[in-house]
Amino acid sequence: MILIGEDLNVMSKTISQAIKDRDPEPVKQYVEGQAKNGMDYLDLNVGPVKKAPAETMEWMVDTVQGCTDIPLCLDTTNPEAMEAGLKRCKKKALLNSASGTEESRQTMMPLAKKYGSGLVLSVINDTGLPSDADERAGSILESLEYAGELGIPNEDIWIDPVLMPVGVDQRQVLAYMEFIQMIPDLAPGAKSVCGLSNLSYGAPKELRGLLNRTFLVIIARYGQDAAIVSGFDAELVRLVRGEMPETVSLIHRAMDEDDVDLSGLSKEDQAYVKTAQVLMGKTLYSNSWLEV
Amino acid sequence: MALKGAEIMKKLPKTNCKECGFATCFAFAMKLANGAAGLDQCPYLSPEVRAELEGAMAPPIRLVTIGTGKNAVAVGEEEVMFRHEKAFFHAPGIAVRISDTLDDSDIEEAIERIKGLRFERIGHELKADLIALSHDSGDRERFEALVKKAAGACDLPLILVSEDTDALFAAASLCADKKPLVYPVTRENMEAAVPRLKELGLPAGVRGNGLDDVIAVTTGLKAAGVEDCVIDAGAGNMMEGLRDQTLIRRAALKKGFRPLGYPTLCFPCNMYGDKYEEALAISVLMIRYAGIVVTSLMEKEFIFPLLVHRFNIFSDPRRPMTVEEKVYEISNPDENAPVLISTNYALDFFIVSAAIEEAGIPAFLCIKDTGGIGVLAAWTSGKFTGEAIADFLDRHKVEQKVAHRKLIIPGVAKKLKDELEEELPAWEIVLGPSEAGDIPKFLSKESNA
Amino acid sequence: MTFEAPLEKYAVKIREVALGTGEKARNIGGEDTLPFHFFEGALPNPPGLALEIMDTAPRNWAAPVLEPFGDAVSDPVDWGKRCVDDFGAEILFLRLASTDPLGEDTAAADAAETVARVADAVQVPLVVWGTAVEDKDAEVLVETARVCAGKNLLLGPVLKGNYMEVAQAALEHGHAIVAQASMDANLTKELNIALCKFFPPEKIVVDPTSSALGYGMEYTFSIIESIKQFGLVDKDKMMQMPVLADVGVECWRTREARENREQGILWEAITGMTFLLAGANLLILRHPEVLGLIRKMISE
Repeated sequence: MILIGEDLNVMSKTISQAIKDRDPEPVKQYVEGQAKNGMDYLDLNVGPVKKAPAETMEWMVDTVQGCTDIPLCLDTTNPEAMEAGLKRCKKKALLNSASGTEESRQTMMPLAKKYGSGLVLSVINDTGLPSDADERAGSILESLEYAGELGIPNEDIWIDPVLMPVGVDQRQVLAYMEFIQMIPDLAPGAKSVCGLSNLSYGAPKELRGLLNRTFLVIIARYGQDAAIVSGFDAELVRLVRGEMPETVSLIHRAMDEDDVDLSGLSKEDQAYVKTAQVLMGKTLYSNSWLEV
Repeated sequence: MALKGAEIMKKLPKTNCKECGFATCFAFAMKLANGAAGLDQCPYLSPEVRAELEGAMAPPIRLVTIGTGKNAVAVGEEEVMFRHEKAFFHAPGIAVRISDTLDDSDIEEAIERIKGLRFERIGHELKADLIALSHDSGDRERFEALVKKAAGACDLPLILVSEDTDALFAAASLCADKKPLVYPVTRENMEAAVPRLKELGLPAGVRGNGLDDVIAVTTGLKAAGVEDCVIDAGAGNMMEGLRDQTLIRRAALKKGFRPLGYPTLCFPCNMYGDKYEEALAISVLMIRYAGIVVTSLMEKEFIFPLLVHRFNIFSDPRRPMTVEEKVYEISNPDENAPVLISTNYALDFFIVSAAIEEAGIPAFLCIKDTGGIGVLAAWTSGKFTGEAIADFLDRHKVEQKVAHRKLIIPGVAKKLKDELEEELPAWEIVLGPSEAGDIPKFLSKESNA
Repeated sequence: MTFEAPLEKYAVKIREVALGTGEKARNIGGEDTLPFHFFEGALPNPPGLALEIMDTAPRNWAAPVLEPFGDAVSDPVDWGKRCVDDFGAEILFLRLASTDPLGEDTAAADAAETVARVADAVQVPLVVWGTAVEDKDAEVLVETARVCAGKNLLLGPVLKGNYMEVAQAALEHGHAIVAQASMDANLTKELNIALCKFFPPEKIVVDPTSSALGYGMEYTFSIIESIKQFGLVDKDKMMQMPVLADVGVECWRTREARENREQGILWEAITGMTFLLAGANLLILRHPEVLGLIRKMISE
């Protein structure tokens, strides 16, 4: 599993302030922490960056590259900022993201070709977010055709099926799982990637990590290649790097079996089992899923 | 589509030879499922597999079109029992009935009234979409005169209703080019009806006495090559109609039972003497799977609520409903009235505008088009940023509507405040409440400040 | 091919909640099938139809709704009796509008007294409703529960922010409650889980929040339909409570209902009927004609 650390993000007060002040220290700290935790890529999310887009992105890229060799994933909806960042990247970067909308095809996708970067390609198109696995397939097929015409091979494409919060639309989470299993047949050579934290948006803060980690184990089994994750979650890294085989095995059992005997399991493992069951759609999600 | 891509895939060669024009068999299967490719494109399907796929790929509920041109009504091709499972795709047609027992001037008036049953709601047109012409007089000439008149006077699709099969088809041949639905086609008149249906190319309004009877008719019609059917199992009241139409849809969708795989037709106009009861029955039957409802109601007060009801239920739950982008004036605001801004997600609009109305404080509610998505998501995707809003205020000349320069923004959009302060230095940006329910209190305080 | 009607049977039921006491007490819920599916299951209790009254004379109600009641609206007891005696309401819904802190801010003790007066004057089950201001409602509903102990009122709206106190009081004094969550099945489930830790599930009714025809009706419709599916088909125990739909207030504030009497009646009737079709077990209405109309249609 390729892990992309998400914490250098304009939604964080610390990072947002650091960007405003052009203060490298907080950025360096976040880089260090995520690197130590074993992230394979670092996501640099500068947001829509209406003010001085190129300059802001350049500063961000320079600051990060100044203290690490980890390759970068550039995350912005602003094409000017994106291009400036891609130019600055020393290593092959990941363009996060383009979509199936006409606008994105015109302004974002060509940048991936121009700078030889990887391309995160989302299933969103001009109709909006696809509502099920088949619609996602339809959308991504069209985008892949277009990418092919631009000369971007499947190997450079990281498909983002767009993960929805389980508390907002549980069926979309099931559709996500159905879809990633289609990807090898649908788009041979392409990778799958997701914004994992989306899954738990709206859930009780202290339980978000549990939801995210459990889901990552589930989709890893279904062939998920990459995920944008909380860069500081050490347990998440342990889980997907094979350091917690028993827990992983339990989660797989919760996926396969209707009833898993919870007696004798630690509290943490019981929680993983219950969480897996909810994520597999065996019961309707609620914020109190652990208490039932 | 009946078959999903993954199921079609099972029948394909799986060689990824690309001769169909797609990179993989799976891609081809997805396109087939969407109707974006044809079985012809794969040279490696055996005739048996082809026939099997063709049959299985046909939608479980046939799509039947009545009428022609831009007013044609298409019903059927539904995929789910409950709208929240995916969506309902074809709203039922509402047919207003005119009887041939009316005299000429009443008929003319009726036609005009029906044509006038059109309304606009949040940018969409809602209208009664068919006219049912009923042969009750026993006089064929009267019926034909009615049909001629209606066909000539308006473009709405027609349903011809007569227990006299000859009269029915004689009238149908007068307006066959308008592709009317002819009703009833029954076990008794099927034999006579089939050649006429085929010759005129018309859809059949099948009536049976219960489901078994309907099955006998549709099976016979299909064998004879008539496949465009709309079916009526003869329900005499709302609850029976609910039962019949539920069982029909279940049979079609869950059992793949083709003899009932057709859109339905019902006649609330024959079920109740009371207008209110008829209207309520229509509202229920439209939700519970009617393809066409035939009504006697022509009054705006009765039809308009039913049109809004249909519009609501048949909206696509997967797509947020939106309202028009503009500056809405609530309770006659003057130049000192507060100015609020929000996104064009319809539900939010209704809630916010209702809260403002309830507060009893006149205000300008600026609604910006964000494709129907809410405040935070719209901000993230650049549709509700400082720049976008400044542009809105400019385009809609908001500065000219008010003497003050105070803009109230949704309380959840804290990041937006800074952006707007930069974009609009002449304006004071005020964070409003996060919950619409707090708007009245907030506006009260503001107006007293 | 012989045709066998595709009937469906679910192995579970929606819980039955008892409302009121004495002769006119009645139950809602208890069905083991989808709304009006008499052909394949049992629906022991027809939906409850309630008329709404307020504890203070309404200032902004639509004229057609006030017309049947005349002066009776100035006293909740008179008003309540008119609803029951003249218009056949089998359940009464008393909205304690005067307790709104932004309005008259009537004290809890006074409100509770009004409830007791009404409860004593009419024998039918009484639903007692606050103003959805959590702190105030907690006071008012707790006091009402105490003063009307043993009357088995249906108290609401019970919200995330006040369910502990209100449900506790309901438990102590023998009442049922309406748990309200805003248009979200997940939140409905969450509140039910929290309640069922100490409160009997068979005394819980849920309110997913209603909206009028043309103003979001379809959202409520789909939420109610999906609640029924979760409860009956998926057998989710936390989604097997009967459903309340507060329709009158939503419909009669709309421009469309207020601009024309017939249209207004249909506005409320269609909204109410739509929610019954989705699975609502208790409907709160304002216009007596709408109650009569719906009752007739569902008795077919």
